[in-house]
Amino acid sequence: MENQIHGTDVVAVGTKLDKLVKKPDVKQLFMFSAITWNRHAIHYNRQRAREEGLPDVVVQRGLIGNFFAQLLDQWMQDRGDILRLEWKVVRSAIPGDTLTCSGVVRRKFSRRGDTLFECDLEMVNQEADAIAKGVGTVRFNN
Amino acid sequence: MKNEIPADALKLIGMEKRREYGVTKKDIRRFAQAIGDPNPLYYDEAYAKTTRFKTIVAPPLFCQAFAFEDVPPEQLLPDGSPVEADVPIPAKRLVGGGSVFENFIRFKPGDKIVVASKITDIYTKQGKRGRLYFIVHETCFYNQRQELAAKEVTTFIKRM
Repeated sequence: MENQIHGTDVVAVGTKLDKLVKKPDVKQLFMFSAITWNRHAIHYNRQRAREEGLPDVVVQRGLIGNFFAQLLDQWMQDRGDILRLEWKVVRSAIPGDTLTCSGVVRRKFSRRGDTLFECDLEMVNQEADAIAKGVGTVRFNN
Repeated sequence: MKNEIPADALKLIGMEKRREYGVTKKDIRRFAQAIGDPNPLYYDEAYAKTTRFKTIVAPPLFCQAFAFEDVPPEQLLPDGSPVEADVPIPAKRLVGGGSVFENFIRFKPGDKIVVASKITDIYTKQGKRGRLYFIVHETCFYNQRQELAAKEVTTFIKRM
């Protein structure tokens, strides 16, 4: 956990966040669809997903965003807030995939007395195919 | 290319829908379980009291639990896709998109949440495998003090 921070003054542009590995399964997709009331069949009906040309039921865009949020929260350890998170899915992820989330600080700036960090985020699967990309902006609370 | 969007679809831009819910410990706990986040801040009151929040709070993207409009099942399209992307355009398959989520105030149990959503833009582009239609949907989440707590802008992409 070498990249967990102890003070924002020591965090520089280029700092890499500790990676986060997620392995979504069918049960997790079901739970996320249920809690978000997302009834789109491609997330729970394998036949329907395949008829649409997908390899299997697919991980929800919203769930992928939450994996990025957990990557940032893991870095901040409850000591900061995610102000903005932007992400885009570039390839479908399916149950059984191993998704590795990584991030790097690309910008450090001040706003109204706070120090903010902007991080480039990326998620790849076990084949190193890009699944999602994003940008997260966080603020640490002293 | 607005002139390629049917007038019936363009009429939907800016039409706001509002609904109101209560936030419960159960909502927060289940959302945390669904996203696979074991942080005790989301369910353990004794732990939460030791944090800067002093109480259980919701995960950063918790408002997603209230984002999709909960219309009766018979109002959904056959594929069950979100009604937010159900607009009269010559495209039916939802094939992707992106999100921008802004967080201002964390929700906690007992809060009221007011959801206000609307389509802000519809446009089209030629893709590699046919024409793509983009539906930009904005959802604002307010608390009981009418403060904007979070905002999500989602771009749905559809094609034939």
